[in-house]
Amino acid sequence: MLLPFQRGPFRGRTSVSLTLISRFVEEYRSSTPNKLKVIDAYLLYILLTGVFQFLYCVLVGTFPFNSFLSGFIACVGSFILAVCLRIQINPQNKRDFLTVSPERAFADFLFAHTVLHLVVVNFVG
Amino acid sequence: SHDPSENILICLFSLLVLSMVLETQALTPTHHLTTTDVARLQAVLSQPFTDLKSAYYSVVGLSKLGILVADETCQFIKSNLDPSSVESLFYAAEASQALSGCEIPVSNDTRDLLLATVSEDSTASQIHQSVSALSSLGLPLASQEVVSALKARISKEDNVLTIILALQTASRLSQQAELGDILEEIEDLAARLDDLSGVYLQFEEGLETTALFVSAAYALSDHVDMEPPLKEDQVIQLVNSIFSKKSWDSLSEAFSVASAAESLSNNRFHVPVIVSAQGPAAISHSQPFLRLQVTDVLCQPLSSASVLVESASTSSSKSAILSQAPFTLRDEVFELNFMASQPASGYYQFSVAIAGDSRFVANHVELKVKVSTRVAINNMDLSVVDKDQSTGPKTTRVEYPTKAKAPFMADSHQNFAMAFQLVDETTGVELTPHQTFVRLHNQKTGQEVVFVAEPDSKNLYKFELDTTERKTEFDSISGTYALYLMMGDATLENPILWNVADVVLKFLDEEAPSTIQAKTLYTPKPEIQHLFREPEKKPPTVVSNAFTALVLSPFLLLLILWVKLGANISNFTLSPSTFLFHIGHAAMLGLMYVYWTHLNMFQTMKYLAIIGSLTFLAGNRMLAQKAVKRYSNCFKLILLLLSFASTRMESILFRLSESFTFPYKVHYVPFTHHIEN
Repeated sequence: MLLPFQRGPFRGRTSVSLTLISRFVEEYRSSTPNKLKVIDAYLLYILLTGVFQFLYCVLVGTFPFNSFLSGFIACVGSFILAVCLRIQINPQNKRDFLTVSPERAFADFLFAHTVLHLVVVNFVG
Repeated sequence: SHDPSENILICLFSLLVLSMVLETQALTPTHHLTTTDVARLQAVLSQPFTDLKSAYYSVVGLSKLGILVADETCQFIKSNLDPSSVESLFYAAEASQALSGCEIPVSNDTRDLLLATVSEDSTASQIHQSVSALSSLGLPLASQEVVSALKARISKEDNVLTIILALQTASRLSQQAELGDILEEIEDLAARLDDLSGVYLQFEEGLETTALFVSAAYALSDHVDMEPPLKEDQVIQLVNSIFSKKSWDSLSEAFSVASAAESLSNNRFHVPVIVSAQGPAAISHSQPFLRLQVTDVLCQPLSSASVLVESASTSSSKSAILSQAPFTLRDEVFELNFMASQPASGYYQFSVAIAGDSRFVANHVELKVKVSTRVAINNMDLSVVDKDQSTGPKTTRVEYPTKAKAPFMADSHQNFAMAFQLVDETTGVELTPHQTFVRLHNQKTGQEVVFVAEPDSKNLYKFELDTTERKTEFDSISGTYALYLMMGDATLENPILWNVADVVLKFLDEEAPSTIQAKTLYTPKPEIQHLFREPEKKPPTVVSNAFTALVLSPFLLLLILWVKLGANISNFTLSPSTFLFHIGHAAMLGLMYVYWTHLNMFQTMKYLAIIGSLTFLAGNRMLAQKAVKRYSNCFKLILLLLSFASTRMESILFRLSESFTFPYKVHYVPFTHHIEN
């Protein structure tokens, strides 16, 4: 992939980053398998939920602090587990996870989620 | 010789004072028998006896205390004697020895019995009893045989009581016998004593054993005329242990204490000295003599002693007032006229030495002596001074114990002042007692305010009252206050409470409180209302609802994205394990909700275990099936490729083999037949 700045000496920074982003999006759209895109959508959802919770805490106050913490930790934990699942499922990483089949990854994901839910529900009060 | 009980009665009860007053550098006894204790010991031993054993303890014990027993006891002993028992003979023989003119008839059989008991096979107690009986009855005995029997006994039974009995027995043998080995046992036994915090030294077996050890050790040491290997400190520690108990559980215990006391007061080597002040160690002009009682452990005065004050110095300055001053003996009490040296009042540290006998142990004693005096107040001047110094002060002199005739007036423009001097009545030396207070007492309200009068550099006491400065103490209440001077000190014999004058204080009226409250500390205080923790402010419902919607909104976004990506459940295999897995998973999520609302962790874990294991098994099955399906697709593909490739390879090889000749012809079977689909 030819890097944008090799084209000429006087490219502006914003246009450089814009080109980068558009390139990245193109690559993503074309080369990522559908399964991973599904997981990516899920990741975005989790992220937004976490952000909105944090926003509430910042704006309104931390009144039931334990509830906020449990919700936030649920978001963070889910995000991490989903990322792990994504890494393990990705066919490009097959060489790193020879002993872990996608089904095994999914089973681990479910088990870890059970534990996370237990903790979160205990703490939400 | 006069009656010892008279001496005992003279020895006064001063144990408490002794323990407070005596400070030790070298060890001095902290516990000793006082006259009352000795009398009590005597009473215990004088109890009417029921059998020969108690008669023995009583008679011999009392004789050790120096008390003679009535001769009727002899009859009792003779009638209770059992000539066939060694023990009985021992008690009778020893008791009769203590009585005057009491003879126990001895037959040949008795003598043979006693001699036969002296052997290695008898216990140490039996050997002791027979040897003592033989010795008391005046019968001959073979000392060397006894020694060898004792040595054999000690080597067989190494306990403390055996060795003590051996020591006692050895002290009754002839001096020509080889008692060296047994004598060494004293040192070994002394090493077995337990040292308790440097004050007590005793056997773990108890008081009686310790007391018996002391009497046995000194008896043997006196007998062979060799000093026992006990250091002075050890002797004092033994004294502390033996005489710390003032009431005795049994007759044998009382006997052992009496015999230990006797041996410690009468042996040839160590005589512990007990020094106690008669009454409190306080001297004043009315009581100029410091009186000390110097006795042995049985409370018998040591008249042969000479008591000397090595040095007497003040507790603070350490400058010696007296040096090498002797006490004079009067009525068995040693006294010294300390006031003759005109000491100033205060506390003095005396270092007293008792000489006169090389056997004295603990004969250096430290004493703290108090010298008290009477105080006189001189030059008590009361004056009212104007603050602006416009007029000179009017001074009135008041003589103790009279009161000033006219009251003094002081308002906000004036100060009230008092000056006086405190001197020793006899010597005129200035004194600074610990407590010099000026008390102002309002007779109407009962209010009192106390100030401290302080001396200046010339030891002149001054007190000044500034009404404006001190108005808070007085609560600005004007009125007549009675002025008292209070004075006290441990070395003053006449503490003073003197109503010197009346003072009328006038404060600015606005500041006076409307109601005069008696300042008491013990009125009920205002009740404290408990404030429960207020719940935190919650945000308005609108805001929280809005944010709830906001937080849930990304879920919609997720669904939209998934639909856009084309996520579907087309791969859903209809098999029981799949159903079970999904139902189980849904049940787990439902359990989470129920946990939040109703359950606690333990119940949740229980249900989770059940549902979880079902879900796990079903899920395992389902995922395995999925995996197999994926692999089997893959596997089929690979096999197909392989078989295709191998058929091509086969045909090539076949043709090649036809063209060349091989040494061995392989029986060829086509590979494809081996594949099972």
